[in-house]
Amino acid sequence: MSSNILRRAYKLSSSILYRYQPISTFFVSRSDPQFSTSSGKPQNQKNEYGVSSISNKRLNFSFGSSLNNTRLLFSTQAAVEPSTSDGLTVDGIVANQWTILDENESDWKSHASAIAQSIGLIKKRLQWKKLKVRLEMLSYQLEKPDLWDDPVHAGRISREHGSLMGKMKEVNGLEQGLLEHIDMIKLAREEDDTDLEAESVKALLRMRQSLKEKELEALLAGEHDSCSCYIEVQAGAGGTESMDWAGMVMQMYKMWAQRRGYGVTVVDEMRGEIAGIKRATIKVDGEYAYGYAKAEVGAHRLVRISPFDSAKRRHTSFAAVAVTPILGDGSHHVQINESDLRIERYRSGGAGGQHANVTDSAVRITHIPTGITASCQNERSQHQNKASAMAVLQSRLDQREMVRQAQMNAQYTQSLTDNSWGNQIRSYVLHPYRMVKDLRTNFEVSDPDSVLEGEIDDFILSFLTESMDKENDEV
Amino acid sequence: MNLAILARSSPLFTTSRILHRSIASKPFSCCSISNSPISINPKTPLFLRPPTFSATLSDLQKWQNWAKSIASSVKSSFTDSDNGPNSNDLHRELNWLIEDALENPQSLLTHNEFEIDYVLRLRADLDELYLLWKQRIEKRRPFQYVVGCEHWRDLVVSVEEGVLIPRPETELMVDLVDDVIKENEDLKEGLWVDLGTGSGAIAIGIVRILGDFGRVIATDLSHVAVQVASFNVNRYNLQDKISVKQGSWFEPLSGFEGRVAGLVSNPPYIPSGHVSGLQAEVGRHEPILALDGGEDGMADLLHLCNGAALMLKSGGFFAFETNGEDQCRFLVDHMETIHNGSFHNLEIIPDFAGIQRFVTGIRS
Ligand SMILES: C[S@@+](CC[C@H](N)C(=O)[O-])C[C@H]1O[C@@H](n2cnc3c(N)ncnc32)[C@H](O)[C@@H]1O
Repeated sequence: MSSNILRRAYKLSSSILYRYQPISTFFVSRSDPQFSTSSGKPQNQKNEYGVSSISNKRLNFSFGSSLNNTRLLFSTQAAVEPSTSDGLTVDGIVANQWTILDENESDWKSHASAIAQSIGLIKKRLQWKKLKVRLEMLSYQLEKPDLWDDPVHAGRISREHGSLMGKMKEVNGLEQGLLEHIDMIKLAREEDDTDLEAESVKALLRMRQSLKEKELEALLAGEHDSCSCYIEVQAGAGGTESMDWAGMVMQMYKMWAQRRGYGVTVVDEMRGEIAGIKRATIKVDGEYAYGYAKAEVGAHRLVRISPFDSAKRRHTSFAAVAVTPILGDGSHHVQINESDLRIERYRSGGAGGQHANVTDSAVRITHIPTGITASCQNERSQHQNKASAMAVLQSRLDQREMVRQAQMNAQYTQSLTDNSWGNQIRSYVLHPYRMVKDLRTNFEVSDPDSVLEGEIDDFILSFLTESMDKENDEV
Repeated sequence: MNLAILARSSPLFTTSRILHRSIASKPFSCCSISNSPISINPKTPLFLRPPTFSATLSDLQKWQNWAKSIASSVKSSFTDSDNGPNSNDLHRELNWLIEDALENPQSLLTHNEFEIDYVLRLRADLDELYLLWKQRIEKRRPFQYVVGCEHWRDLVVSVEEGVLIPRPETELMVDLVDDVIKENEDLKEGLWVDLGTGSGAIAIGIVRILGDFGRVIATDLSHVAVQVASFNVNRYNLQDKISVKQGSWFEPLSGFEGRVAGLVSNPPYIPSGHVSGLQAEVGRHEPILALDGGEDGMADLLHLCNGAALMLKSGGFFAFETNGEDQCRFLVDHMETIHNGSFHNLEIIPDFAGIQRFVTGIRS
């Protein structure tokens, strides 16, 4: 009987459980002293779903003992590690090393073990310890009374705080969900309720499956990963052959971006005299464009028989790739001073003005103190070219400043790429054999054509996974 | 009469009813022309025409390939002969022509060669597109006349033969005005004039940065220019703030002496002797009235200087575009000597190509 009611509540909640909301919120009402934290303070978690009727029913069957040990961890300060009624923690589950079987095997220990591992991986990718420290620091700053004296800074702090807090809560919710499912299974067994047990095991399985996605998402948890970005490709030394290669690399990114449904616009393009490009910058618009594209920063090497060499010799050429995030308004790190800028029209000759009819109104902007430049020539008016070039300049200056600050403070800067073009990251060989190999991860494929047509997601993901998991191991 | 509308909507004029009557009673030479309704309508730019035509993807691609190949064959020959466009410029223009001519330009990218029967909707039929591109290359017809518009600042202004295509350099005039009105509420809410407005670009650019009470009177001698400027003003729904008037320079402004907060102009400044050697797009297609500034190119500029002294109120701002350093210096010199004491803060300001392009100053 009791388990019937419990099951009703459970079924009701399982759709919510699917989103890993701790079901304990169903059973906790604000005023009920029975559910309190170990410190004795009343649990002040709200009943977010307003299902007070259920919680009241639940309270009539006072077997709180099985659930009220489940602790909610809602702030960085919470000291108690959440556990099941019999004291099992997420770390404990990992330590048990229960064999992880195939998903089809309906074994709760296997599911629980897989989930605990995923959570561990997600925490590692989020740089959990650093994240907590950073969060505490941000909370501290948020409480300063003079914070809003500098609204831009304050905005940045509170945005970052909100985003880190969201991640923290999500992971805590995952842990909570896992433990509650386990409690539920144990309870069902005590009560000999096979339906409830099956239901709970299924819920674990669903959780296990969707965690795979979350593992990937955790790869893109850097502060700016969700931003749009600029991708810049520059030809290395070696004339037409390497300009042609730079053009191919740019084409690869355009096709990749289109494949992913991102918007692509050419901002700046300097074509080679005979083929390809000397350099070009595209704007890639869409969620996580920066998070993915940042994995492409570095030098890309091509080996092939050059179509531009009449002697048909094998050539090696390089193209350098830089990626910069486009920060939203209000999150810029650098305030640009108009008087620090030199704005030039280029490729203009002659008297100009009424003398000339031009459709090319290319503009180059130089930030004099840093020497950083940006140009744009693909807009239809000079004003728009200038605006586009300014946006590129802003993102380059922001990037530079972020890297500088990060180096200065050895700060929490998850996955910020420094556009140092020196290091070679990938090799594309078209002759004598055919292969593309990432030199950082050793990931390789034997079909260069598909890669050059934009199928680079596997390279990106393997790099993100490997570099992040390695980097965080070292911490 | 137009000024009455302007006057009613602006508090600036509420006290000037009497002045009005005196204007109205004056015999106008050119202004009276603008009172009679004119029948010729400006052409609709390509991008505003309805997409009533269609073509299959393969036919359009055929046209595109043809257009590309004749653009490629130009190489640097135009540039070498008169600083005209090269193949690269023409390829970019071709993309813009497609952008303007197709209802959905993206579809050219997203549909591949296997969908040759896919039908695209066009704003001009394919024959016209062939003709337009032929005119662009063979006749050197300016691209802006081909598509009927020029992107200027964040505006798209309609243009056609008979009206000067506004230049990128001239965009800076609006920035110059922006700089002075930022600090001066009085100018921001005042009456501005754009003399020789052409397509109306400067007037529209300026009125959009003025305050709620700011107004612009835009004048031009050319009938076509007045038509096109009015079309553009209406398209940006600024007819309550900009009054377009036909007449020679200050003629349409009589009665406003000493009341003008700001005066801007890009008058014809090319020395007559240079006109025959102009880039083909300019010399063969743009109106001579908009270009020829007399023997030394200074005839209209000097006339405007003198008028500025008369029209501007104390503290009023002016900006003129010129042919370059010589004209700038000459103007400043002229103002300092002939109009000794009438102006201060005289400045010469370069364009983005580094050419001394503008003269600005304040009426004392
Ligand atoms: C160089 S165009 C400038 C057009 C426009 N303001 C622009 O910047 O694109 C010079 C303009 O002055 C006009 N113009 C020439 N003589 C004039 C005159 N006597 N009175 C008024 N306008 C005149 C021409 O018709 C032409 O539109």
